Amino acid sequence: MPTSLIVLIVVAVILVLMYNSLVSKKNQVENIFASVDTVLKKRYDLIPNLVASVSKYMDHEKSLLEKVTQLRAEANKPNISDEKKIKLDEQVSSALGSIMIAVENYPDLKANENVMHLQHSLSEIEEQISAARRAYNQAVTDYNNAIEMIPTNFMATAMNYSRKPVFEIVESERKNINVKELFN
Amino acid sequence: MKSVSELTDFYYRNLFATLEELEIQRKNLRYRIIIIGIFYTIIFMLLFSFILTSNLASGDFFAFALFAYVGIGGLLYKFLTKDYTDEFKIKVIKPLISAIDEKLNYTSSMYVAQRTFERSELFTATVDRMSGNDHVKGIIGTTKIEFSDLHAEQRHKSSKGKESWSTIFRGLFIVAEFNKNFIGKTVILPDSAQNTFGDLIGGWLQSKNMGRDELVKMDDNEFEKEFVVYSTDQIEARYILSPSLMQRLLTFQKRSKHPVYISFIGDSIHMAIYYGKDLFEPSIFRSLLKYKIAMEYVSTLHLAIGIVDELKLNKKIWSKR
Repeated sequence: MPTSLIVLIVVAVILVLMYNSLVSKKNQVENIFASVDTVLKKRYDLIPNLVASVSKYMDHEKSLLEKVTQLRAEANKPNISDEKKIKLDEQVSSALGSIMIAVENYPDLKANENVMHLQHSLSEIEEQISAARRAYNQAVTDYNNAIEMIPTNFMATAMNYSRKPVFEIVESERKNINVKELFN
Repeated sequence: MKSVSELTDFYYRNLFATLEELEIQRKNLRYRIIIIGIFYTIIFMLLFSFILTSNLASGDFFAFALFAYVGIGGLLYKFLTKDYTDEFKIKVIKPLISAIDEKLNYTSSMYVAQRTFERSELFTATVDRMSGNDHVKGIIGTTKIEFSDLHAEQRHKSSKGKESWSTIFRGLFIVAEFNKNFIGKTVILPDSAQNTFGDLIGGWLQSKNMGRDELVKMDDNEFEKEFVVYSTDQIEARYILSPSLMQRLLTFQKRSKHPVYISFIGDSIHMAIYYGKDLFEPSIFRSLLKYKIAMEYVSTLHLAIGIVDELKLNKKIWSKR
């Protein structure tokens, strides 16, 4: 066999491997994002119930409740991009955190069984979301590394792959929901 | 839970009379073991030389003789120390465990079931022989816990049909109810590949580990350096291993000073700490009153029972209460 043919085969094999590894990394990101989406939805589903139970008591935080409802409506729109979903999640997290802090100011509300139930459900989902975010960030980091590092970056450019955003995990935001500490 | 120093106090204060009594027994026993050992060796040598001179010896004979000497010697030693060992366990280990928590049950002859060990999936080799002792079981707060000494072995057969045994695991095996719900399997092993081969090659080797589930890269660098995580579910693994649990497991591993294997399967956390020896056995050639010996019993018990507090297993997530 002529040497040039061997070289050609080796190069072809390397290209195929690079291509496959990039595709599998991209799919991993998509798979995990699907799971992130599921837990985020779970949380969005709790919002109407939460708003309904607390709005009777909360007079000063009406705008906050409206904002959460509006964010939920936006998140439930079809065909929104992953970037948008990540942005919305950040906003919802911080808004929910503020609501939970506000609940502390209403003793009646704090003692309300329904609210307590919601609070617990929310903090449990929050834990799942946090895990899903971390998994997603890891998958995205692997993917981003691959598309920026030599030699896979050349292949990535040819395949038209671009960097994906990660979830920002803001420390203060994680502390907002006080019951959460219990489960860490 | 009582601290290590409180337990050490208990050991020296409340158990002192018992320890002194046992100390006399120990000295007598040591004397007896030495005398019998010498006689045993002399008799064995005589027999051995008799067979040698009568020309019955072949190449395998030496190996066989050595094997017999060690084997019979071991049995003899076990027989001689049995009473002392039993007494030590009932009078020292049992009260120590009750001092930590009264609701814990101690049985010196039992051990964690083989199927529990196999369920943990910490060691993939098939277990052909299982032994153990010093079984502790009970509830701390609201968390079920169980642990014991375990020795799991595998049988090998050479092409000549010779049988040999190798150790799969020897040390402390702990099972406790976990405080979160999960469905999949997550296994955490000491990270040997990454330590020996560095990040790049080690990481690649880990991802190619046959017989294990998907590799999970954790976002805690220190944890990632010490352990390697395999799981059936990337997200669930991170749900179980919250940033704070990773830190606590690291602290635990540092405190244990031995390789730690951890798995989350079923509704439990399984921890195997590889000591390579039988724990909670009375010392025969060193005094029971020595601080180092006392500390070994106390700190090992404290480590095992302490996981409930240390890993905050009593703080159950709300849907598990």
